[in-house]
Amino acid sequence: MRKAYGFIVLGVVLLLVGSYVGLFVAPAEEYMGQVQRIMYVHVPTAWNWMLAVLFAFGSSIAFLFTANTKWDARQEAGLEVATLFAFLLCCQGSIWAKPTWGVWWDWDPRLTSVAVLLFAFLGILALRQFVDDPQRRAVWSAVATIIASVDLPIVYYSVKWWNSLHQQQSNPNTVSSQFHLPLRVNAFGVLFLMIGFIMLRTRLANYRLAREMAMPPVVSADQAGELA
Amino acid sequence: MMLAAALRKEILLQWRTRSQMMAVFVFGAASLLLFSFAVGPNAEMLRTFSAGFLWLGLLLSSTLTLSESFHSEMENRALEGLLLLPSDPRALYYGKAIANWLQLTILGCALVPVMVVLYDAGTTQLLKLLLIILLGTAGLSAPGTLYAAMTAQVRAKQTLLPLLLFPLIVPALLASVKATSLVILGDPMQQSRSWIALLGAFDLIYWSLCGLLYGRVVEE
Amino acid sequence: MTGGVVVGGWGFVIAAYTVTAIGFLIYGVMLITKLRDEQSRAAADGDKQ
Repeated sequence: MRKAYGFIVLGVVLLLVGSYVGLFVAPAEEYMGQVQRIMYVHVPTAWNWMLAVLFAFGSSIAFLFTANTKWDARQEAGLEVATLFAFLLCCQGSIWAKPTWGVWWDWDPRLTSVAVLLFAFLGILALRQFVDDPQRRAVWSAVATIIASVDLPIVYYSVKWWNSLHQQQSNPNTVSSQFHLPLRVNAFGVLFLMIGFIMLRTRLANYRLAREMAMPPVVSADQAGELA
Repeated sequence: MMLAAALRKEILLQWRTRSQMMAVFVFGAASLLLFSFAVGPNAEMLRTFSAGFLWLGLLLSSTLTLSESFHSEMENRALEGLLLLPSDPRALYYGKAIANWLQLTILGCALVPVMVVLYDAGTTQLLKLLLIILLGTAGLSAPGTLYAAMTAQVRAKQTLLPLLLFPLIVPALLASVKATSLVILGDPMQQSRSWIALLGAFDLIYWSLCGLLYGRVVEE
Repeated sequence: MTGGVVVGGWGFVIAAYTVTAIGFLIYGVMLITKLRDEQSRAAADGDKQ
């Protein structure tokens, strides 16, 4: 428990430091001006989003092979954190796009893939809400997460292709060397924050699962006759 | 051959409920009509987006046909009964997926004349169009059948199926619309082949992956 | 839009950082609150038994 809180505190501290450097110390970029500074939160969030998706995917496979509910708890945590990060990425990306391209959304393949996976994961979270049987919920959620994760690269390539027919501008999301420090610091900051979140969320899921298992199943009178 | 038996059962079921197919076709055609009202009587614009409307109409209709396809399994706990048979559950999956695929293909082909009339979007390359419809509906049918199996057994199934399916089939939708659009509006650089190849790859991946996972979805 | 310079934009930068910070904060608070709830509930159930 303490480890999780430790991660979170460490993550927040790193983020404060990194953001301070990124906002006030690093020089403004040549063409992008101040708006470039958004990259110091956007890129770290993006990297860690990928990690969260990978974690959810790995947990799903682990659950299907081991049938150990701890993996289901981890998967639930990974799903939720990845969904949060995807949502933040869409917000950040949109805020970046407006001053840069003049529109709130420019169908950048990376961001569009995030948006698609955001909806996919929201759907899986909804599925988890509507299935009452814990075993079934875990299996179905794992299957759905695997399918959605496998889809991610396919979505990326198809959108990239689809958009390349119209895209005249390139997206200069690369960061030149003098800007590396705040980026790296923030990347670790978000990483530790994410690890802390996942640890806590897994714990929460484990508690809820334990409570579910302990309760006697709700059986109505006519169902009871059938079960006997 | 369990697959042949499963397929035969599905097609028989679909034939017996063919009046429902008619209703779904009307739903699809009505959607295409509504799209033109949403866009306005601009012939040029309607023609430009006709491929998109066709596939959107088909996608929306698929949520009806896919969820219906497990209706009979839900009665009298037939799904469990089928699982007790000494056969690979994958045969049941592929039988249903193929039957759904056929159904969507027929629906797609039936909506083409509607599209031609409403949007002035004709083409002479009918075989290519048929190929695109076949590959595109296959992309809808594979994950759609898997998720229909899941959601048939839960509450709020009407909402969950599209919620789960729509993000997943984005590549299939993109590629189908793009390829169809090129067939209708002209394809000077022969790009449609690449989109058809993407569709093929998507289908391959999903028909294998979903078949693999189906057993876990319906086991008790 | 190449070769131009994006002027100003501090508003957007602040917006992006704020949205991110608020997102993390709200999620963190919700998570910790729910966790505390579950922990006290588990403790209460433990006492009952």
